[in-house]
Amino acid sequence: MQTVLEVRNLHAGYADREILKGISFTLNADDFFAIIGPSGAGKSTLIRCVNRLVEPKSGEVIFNGRDMLKLTPAELRGERRNIGMIFQEFNLIERLSVMDNVLTGRLGYTGTFRSIFRLYTKDEIKQALVLLDRVGLGEHIDKRADRLSGGQRQRVGIARALIQNPKLLLVDEPTSSLDPKISREVMGLIREMAREFHIPVLCNIHDVDLACDFCSHVIGLQDGVKKFEGPPAKLDKQALQEIYAMEVL
Amino acid sequence: MPAKQLSEVGIVPSAGVMPTPGSVPPTWSRFRYPQSLYKYGALLGAFAFIAFALDYLKIPMDRLPGMLGRMGEMLARRYFPPNVDHILNAEYWHTVVETLQMSYLATVLGIAISIPLAWFASFNMTPSRRYVYPIARLIIMACRSVHEMIWTILLVAILGFGMLPGALALTLFCIGFSGKLFSEAIEAIKPGQVEAIRATGANNLQAFIFAVLPQVRVAWAGISIYTWDVVFRAATVVGFFGAGGMGQYLRESVQRVASRDVAAILLSIVVVVIISELMSAWLRTRVAKAIA
Repeated sequence: MQTVLEVRNLHAGYADREILKGISFTLNADDFFAIIGPSGAGKSTLIRCVNRLVEPKSGEVIFNGRDMLKLTPAELRGERRNIGMIFQEFNLIERLSVMDNVLTGRLGYTGTFRSIFRLYTKDEIKQALVLLDRVGLGEHIDKRADRLSGGQRQRVGIARALIQNPKLLLVDEPTSSLDPKISREVMGLIREMAREFHIPVLCNIHDVDLACDFCSHVIGLQDGVKKFEGPPAKLDKQALQEIYAMEVL
Repeated sequence: MPAKQLSEVGIVPSAGVMPTPGSVPPTWSRFRYPQSLYKYGALLGAFAFIAFALDYLKIPMDRLPGMLGRMGEMLARRYFPPNVDHILNAEYWHTVVETLQMSYLATVLGIAISIPLAWFASFNMTPSRRYVYPIARLIIMACRSVHEMIWTILLVAILGFGMLPGALALTLFCIGFSGKLFSEAIEAIKPGQVEAIRATGANNLQAFIFAVLPQVRVAWAGISIYTWDVVFRAATVVGFFGAGGMGQYLRESVQRVASRDVAAILLSIVVVVIISELMSAWLRTRVAKAIA
């Protein structure tokens, strides 16, 4: 199977505190990875090192055949277009409409001058409409993002990531701000879309049950160290105890 | 709560989380040595400095009690009644309009310069923390640190009398004033939206337009109107130093020692400043509602 992302011996942190202590893993096409672990284990940092929203200290992040850590700022922007990201707090532009939020996913492909006047192409607008319909927001296109419910906002976030036409999806705690029922809907939607467009997913999630139900492969982090890697079926009580360093119910 | 009950429900805390009996301190006090000593020492020092300054400057406190009475007497004798005829003429009102125009031009130009400057001078969004940020901060600080009247004196000396040095001095003042407030508004934005826009492969300018501007536009509109209000207040006086507008009229009357004319002009300045303040407050709430 084709390898999409390879992380080798990744270190990250500040001068006085190491957050990631040598993480390695390989993500193949059609994989849906869950990264689980206690708060502060470095899950968010790991995912942000892939598109360099956080600058790692050392290691390699091979994506699309190139080491992300060696790219110039312009090359990095070019490569970020191929990586969609979905956030815990949705991170929508609150004062813009749903449509404008989705279209920001195309900024990497839009020239600076055109983006000032929001001159997106007809194809991009058509894609946005199709995606909004697919995520179930066809009736809310012109609503302002801050008028939507939590679940609806995350659907806008999903559409914004997908309109990039990404080769990889980074998903950072997509359900932490949502109730259990909507959490499952959102996870289901992400999985459905990832399968349909053949996008591999790297997903931080603290809810172990959700991770096991929706993901094909689990990585357990604890204090910046990989403590577990394998399919959900192998994630037994002992493995969880190892990851969370405490007795699990 | 004893550790035993927690373990019954399956939670075993790792060592060191729960206090062991006997490790509880026997007493507790809000006042701790030496932190309390520093705090009250500093307070005492602050008061002592007031006494020292009053003594050193030889401020004659005994002159204060009769001050209000003497002030009323002087105003009544020399400045009352204000010579309203002096300001009720087309020439004077022409200078009022000129002052308004000068402050408007200065504010628009100053804000246009402040917008990119504030972006460069905000620590979280600046394109380069190493080079652009300190330079932009320096420009804003330079504009702020020199008083607008000093700018006027300098620019009148360079450019000669008239509206141009006044408008430029007020522009510099405006850059210092709104530039600082604008960049502080940028530093208070939510970083998540910036992250999301950057993650799409957007460049710095796109991140500024899509992640910063929507978040600061209400604050910036309020700041802009407030800036105009403050610039207008300064504009009423720049003429005193030879830069046109109402101030020039004031200077001329002061030099003639025509106290009742001066009183009328001062009165008119108070009135127009109050009007501008009321208008700016009204406008700010309206604009905030319209673009929130």
